[in-house]
Amino acid sequence: MTTDDESPLDDAPLDAAAMLALSTGQQKRVSSQFVRPVVTMLGAWGVAWLVGFLALWLALESSAPFTVPIAVAGPVFGILIVGAIVLSIVIGSRMSRGVRGSSVFSGAVYGWTWSIASFAVFLIGQSLVNAGMPVELSMLYYPTTYGLVAGMLYLAGAALWVDKTQLFLGLWIIVVSVASSFAGTPTNLLFMSLLGGGGFIVGTVAVLIRTRAARRG
Amino acid sequence: MAELDPVIHAQARLRIMATLATLDDDGSIAFPRLQELLDMTAGNLSTHLRKLEDAGYVAQDKAFRGRTPITYVYSTKQGKRAFEDYMDQLRELLGGTP
Repeated sequence: MTTDDESPLDDAPLDAAAMLALSTGQQKRVSSQFVRPVVTMLGAWGVAWLVGFLALWLALESSAPFTVPIAVAGPVFGILIVGAIVLSIVIGSRMSRGVRGSSVFSGAVYGWTWSIASFAVFLIGQSLVNAGMPVELSMLYYPTTYGLVAGMLYLAGAALWVDKTQLFLGLWIIVVSVASSFAGTPTNLLFMSLLGGGGFIVGTVAVLIRTRAARRG
Repeated sequence: MAELDPVIHAQARLRIMATLATLDDDGSIAFPRLQELLDMTAGNLSTHLRKLEDAGYVAQDKAFRGRTPITYVYSTKQGKRAFEDYMDQLRELLGGTP
């Protein structure tokens, strides 16, 4: 299959069952090529939330098994979240490279919505801090609002790509974010870490298992 | 039972049509990306695309990114129908309902 001329092997038909398998196998191969980057993206968000929020909780909870200085936990959280955002943008822009069609527009709008909405959460928080919101309250505001935005974006993704994994993940993230705000701070950070970050990781594994199963046909 | 369409009934061309069928209705794919998804050499892919083009199943469209020309490949309406018919015929041959 590597000669520049047409190889006779390529041109030869197989029996009906093998040809059917060849066609469906190729389509599965194409869709797994498009799904694989999503797995990396979900996994990165899982690690960022799990480790980042856990570091913040360890820094602020006095009864935690051990403590981490906030001077370490803050930057760790920031680097992980910014890293996940950058990775998502890079992966998102490479995913549909070389492909044209209406779904490419949907994908681009969706990708940009993540950045715009995340930045809006940050700006609104800043305006509330400027208006006198105490630090403890901001520790409730940021995770919960950001979690709500992330959950709704997964629901939008579920609608766009008719994907049930994103539907469940979106609902789960919204439930965890809202419930965590009732837990008070800093316990809400532990909620976001274990249940939110854990949710992303379970979602990653679910997509992996599904694509593996599909590849085996 | 009608004969299987000889244009599609070849491994390489069936894989090309199957790949193009995964695109949006109005979608097309750049030649290098298609080559990557099929794991075929440029020469081999061109040869098979020409045969599909001669049958009216595939069309190409040149676009420019800056000054670099990019060829986009897509399945025509006729090509989409032919691929669907071919797959139905295969399933029928195998005893399933089309």
